[in-house]
Amino acid sequence: MECVVQGIIETQHVEALETLLQGLCGAPKERVRVHELCLKSGPNLGVVPSEVRLLCDLALPTPTWTVRHVGGAVRGAAAEQICVQVRQVTESKASNNVLRFFYALGYKLDHELLKVGFAFRLQRGAQITVTVTSAYKMPKLHSTDEAVLITPSIQLVEITAPAAADNYNEVVSAVTSLCEHLAPLLHLSKPGVSTGIVPTAAAAAASLMLNSGGKTL
Amino acid sequence: MEMGGGAAPPQGQQQPPPGAAAEAAAAPRPAAERLNAAVVQQLNLESVKTRALGLDKAISRILGDFDAYARANSSPKWQDVIGQFSMVSMELFNIVEDIKKVSKAFAVYPRNVSAENAAILPVMLSSKLLPEMEAEDNTKREQLLYGITNLPIHTQIEKLKARIDMIGSACEAAEKVIADCRKAYGLASRQGPSLVPTLDKVQAAKIQEQENLLRAAVNFGEGLRMPGDQRQLPSSLPSHLVDVLSFGDNTQNFGDNSGVYSKNTPAFTSNAVNNQGTPIQAPGAQQIGRSAPSPSGVSGTGNFDNASTPPMPYANSPRSSTNMMNTPSPQQQLQQQLQQQQQQRQKMMQVPSQHQQQLHSQQQLRPSSTPGVLGQSTMSQLHDLQGQAQQKLQQLPGQHQMQYSQSLSQHFQNRQMQSMQQNMAQNQLNQGSQLRSHLSQFTGAGNNALLNAAQASPNSQM
Repeated sequence: MECVVQGIIETQHVEALETLLQGLCGAPKERVRVHELCLKSGPNLGVVPSEVRLLCDLALPTPTWTVRHVGGAVRGAAAEQICVQVRQVTESKASNNVLRFFYALGYKLDHELLKVGFAFRLQRGAQITVTVTSAYKMPKLHSTDEAVLITPSIQLVEITAPAAADNYNEVVSAVTSLCEHLAPLLHLSKPGVSTGIVPTAAAAAASLMLNSGGKTL
Repeated sequence: MEMGGGAAPPQGQQQPPPGAAAEAAAAPRPAAERLNAAVVQQLNLESVKTRALGLDKAISRILGDFDAYARANSSPKWQDVIGQFSMVSMELFNIVEDIKKVSKAFAVYPRNVSAENAAILPVMLSSKLLPEMEAEDNTKREQLLYGITNLPIHTQIEKLKARIDMIGSACEAAEKVIADCRKAYGLASRQGPSLVPTLDKVQAAKIQEQENLLRAAVNFGEGLRMPGDQRQLPSSLPSHLVDVLSFGDNTQNFGDNSGVYSKNTPAFTSNAVNNQGTPIQAPGAQQIGRSAPSPSGVSGTGNFDNASTPPMPYANSPRSSTNMMNTPSPQQQLQQQLQQQQQQRQKMMQVPSQHQQQLHSQQQLRPSSTPGVLGQSTMSQLHDLQGQAQQKLQQLPGQHQMQYSQSLSQHFQNRQMQSMQQNMAQNQLNQGSQLRSHLSQFTGAGNNALLNAAQASPNSQM
């Protein structure tokens, strides 16, 4: 299971967010460049199509593939209260013929996208990963070199933290507290719930950049 | 309170203790190091010392009294004790007040004497710097005056003043930002956030729209699905996909609308051997999803058991069992030729080679395998097949009916054919070469052209 929230931030404020996260995290950022292929199952695998995502990490010299299945979110009154979505996720590393394999099983490519950005890993009560990426679409099939930004002025911020069924409350509170830290810059919410941008973002970004501008004299 | 530490060499004079120590230092120091004379006067160190000593004596006397009380196990009069305590505290207060007046010239840390710092306090009170600190001080001074030490003093002073002004202005700017932020977040006032900057409606709407676009794209893939005509593999794949997707891979495997999942579910075991994703339009099959993956591709080849049922039952499935039960009848011998040719055609269609390219070629060759013996209906059917194979598109309803009529006719013709086909299908080990040998048998005049055309089709494997 994982706890996840998403938010958006204007591209002009991304640097400020990076500074803030750097301060919170301590470790340097990691580059993110992921080619995500979303496959839907064919009819031979059941009446209801299921979806599988293949993530190819292109940031490293040798691309590594990951298979990811996103399940349903926890529902109920408790889930309504919290502003974090808790959902089932299964992830695994895979060899680089995983695409062929899924095609052979009968999966078909539904859509693909490219995400480029950076990520920070924090340990604040739970292992939290904050990813800030801009999403690209590919005009031609698999043409990652010709990818085009979907929304040039807005980037996506995603905060995920793995959780187990018995401890997800703590993870939820850890993620929520981190969201509060980031509140001046962006609003975070469950995936699919739209938030808009934060009006104080500009002022917060300005102050962050001023602080980090250095103390030269 | 011991002020003895303050006067390192105990001096009765009113010389500033640091002054003495400073003079002892090797490097000559400017006069500014001495305490301001007025401060000295005000501080009146000597009197402070006297008073402190007096206070100390009083406290120790009182403590001694308490001791006596304790030993005598009698309790003192509360009023007396209170009186003495107040006297002592008053005296302390006065001393502290006097020192506070001049404390601007000093910075005192630790503020109180306690057991642990009583020993170190004299050292701390000494204003002579530790050697390392002295060196550091020197380097800092050099840094500060770097570049202007050679200029006359007043120039130095001006430059330093300019620097101070710059620092001052930077501080003011910082304070301004802090004030603005306070206003923005409503931290300064107790009434809560009041001045929250708002976006104008147009901008907000634009951003909202962009946000929806982005969220939908990332979470659900909206706006990223490509229409069929663009779903051709580009000639140059990115490096991480080059090894994964081989050339001529017809396994585009594009999921269409989910509703179009045809009933061409894999039936024959032979289908498992069939290559993947060949968008073969199986005859007699119902609509196939565009470029559906392997099993569905070759389904229904000639399984005309029941025109209305979906083709491609498994070899062991209940449906196929009906075929199995159709034992060969004497009709079989009569129509054996027909069967065989049908078989060939089926073989062609069911191309279970491991290479997709072979399949590709075979697809196109399939129509050419029609023996002339099969009647007109089958010829037309084969023409249809050829069209289908080359289109690789979803079948039109017209063709669909065509297949049905074909299937009906077949049905009437020969059931054993079906069973034979099934057996053949089950036993298929076709290699490309086998197929070619079969192909070579068909030399019908009308087929030659087809054959040549098919062979000319680009296919590296062939």
